[in-house]
Amino acid sequence: MSRARSRRGRANTEREGVEPAFVIETQDLSKHYGERILAVDHLTMGVRRGEVYGFLGPNGAGKTTTLRMLLGLIRPTAGSALVLESPPGTPQGLARIGALVETPAFYPFLSGRDNLRVLARHAGVPEMRIEAVVEEVDLTARARDRFATYSLGMKQRLGVAAALLKDPELLILDEPMNGMDAAGMAEMRSFIRNLGQNGRTVLFSSHLMSEVEQVCDRVGVIRSGKLVGEGTLDELRGRAGLRVRAEPLELAERVVSAAAEVEHVAIADDGLLIAADPNAAAAINRALVEAGVEVSELRLERASLEKVFLELTQGGED
Amino acid sequence: MKGSVSAELLLLRKRTSTWILLGIWTALASFFSYLLPYLEYRNGDLGGGPGEVPLEELLPQRLAGRLSGGFPFFGGVFALMLGVLALGSEYGWGTLRTVLVQRPGRLRVFAAKLVALGAGLVPFVFAVFVVGTLSSYAIARNEGIEVAWPSVWELVRALAAGWLILAVWAALGVTLGVLSRGTALAIGVGILYALVIEGLISAFADQVSVLEPLVEFLLRANAYSLVEGLGASTTGAATNGPGAFSGPYVGGTQAFIVLAGYVAAFIGLSGFLLRRRDVT
Repeated sequence: MSRARSRRGRANTEREGVEPAFVIETQDLSKHYGERILAVDHLTMGVRRGEVYGFLGPNGAGKTTTLRMLLGLIRPTAGSALVLESPPGTPQGLARIGALVETPAFYPFLSGRDNLRVLARHAGVPEMRIEAVVEEVDLTARARDRFATYSLGMKQRLGVAAALLKDPELLILDEPMNGMDAAGMAEMRSFIRNLGQNGRTVLFSSHLMSEVEQVCDRVGVIRSGKLVGEGTLDELRGRAGLRVRAEPLELAERVVSAAAEVEHVAIADDGLLIAADPNAAAAINRALVEAGVEVSELRLERASLEKVFLELTQGGED
Repeated sequence: MKGSVSAELLLLRKRTSTWILLGIWTALASFFSYLLPYLEYRNGDLGGGPGEVPLEELLPQRLAGRLSGGFPFFGGVFALMLGVLALGSEYGWGTLRTVLVQRPGRLRVFAAKLVALGAGLVPFVFAVFVVGTLSSYAIARNEGIEVAWPSVWELVRALAAGWLILAVWAALGVTLGVLSRGTALAIGVGILYALVIEGLISAFADQVSVLEPLVEFLLRANAYSLVEGLGASTTGAATNGPGAFSGPYVGGTQAFIVLAGYVAAFIGLSGFLLRRRDVT
């Protein structure tokens, strides 16, 4: 599933006419730290306008380094990137990007509201926007308190508020659910989904498959600085098959094998694993029942994303 | 740029450490410049020995010179800490990246910090002069001496010299904060330089001839030379406590140029590093 493709030509063509489809494009982006550490290795990825893109990888895979390069905080050693048609870190690009990088970092001696005031002044955002974002992340009651007194969840929400200050087209969120309790994570997931539905593009990184699975339209999987997989959740999981539990199993296998829609049948875990178009489920069920087989279960089965993730991130080099 | 400066001024104003440094600097400056010498005088210890100050030095007429003597070393250390905190703590808290992703660009943030820091040094200069004015006036009234004030020009020059000296130390603090990407090491190294390194170089310069020309370009030598040209009494600096300085003194113009050069060099180096290095 790894890719090595050039989108630059296509992006240029798109720029001549309509809005480019990709809001983030990287081409062979790499970052070395000294001779020995290769944090990001020829990363080529693209985030489409209006999608929620999950950047998934185990700790230390290079997610944060990549996001920092996209924000201009870190200079790439090689390769290139375009974010909202601008090189990373330029004021015109950053004006349209909201970002939360790693743990939210704010001035501990200032209140949440004053922290946002400082950022709004730097960003050239009207201060009336502060109340709107504070309300959006449900921090109004504590906005006057010092940042140092906030819980981790509240800090994270303030970080999201800061990211929303500029009403950005693109949000880059680095592990936004870090340190949150279950309720906070659910809230954040719903929040990110809403952001995506409102036409914003969201790129968020995580090391947790479950977070990504529930929120993202597309996923990029990174391991040891390399993109080892990219696609929609369905594309990553691969083609769905059917699982059947039936008695007698041998007769069931014979019946299913004879069906025209079926490509392959195997017996596994006291049942049948059938490679076939999921739409053929009704026809297969009918054939089994008509042959006198007792069908106790017939369901769609797909490799879990967890399994795909583990295969991609723990397997050998591509 | 205006928005960034206003953001940095808000930060400086809301920061407790700014007010603590201002309070301590003002209190200690008035204590060592006026209260302690006056108590010494009142107790009749005046005998012309080291550390003893004639009453005339404590009167309003000598205000500019009396207070300027505290800036080259004592005030400098406070400005150094202020400079370190302005940049170094941004690394420590990780707030530099939070600010930089907002939009403004690295050099604009840096310039805004410098403008705010420069503005923040103004109260550090004025507060000492206000307290000094009140102290010297009180002493004159207490002694029944007619109050005579220094000329406005003399005061303006003293205020400007005080600001320039604090600006050099603050710029050194900024550089150390950026170099070490933190506060603790930067303040430690800065104080080490102020207390020990310059003194040692000066001391060895008498024996090692190649060091002699170097001494005339050291920060403290030029700062003391600048205030000496304004009539500051620097005799006490030769023997009094930490940061003691016994020369050599250089001309006022050279002192001004060297100090301005230090400010430019420190700012240039910090700006270069801030622009070039990764923010992690």
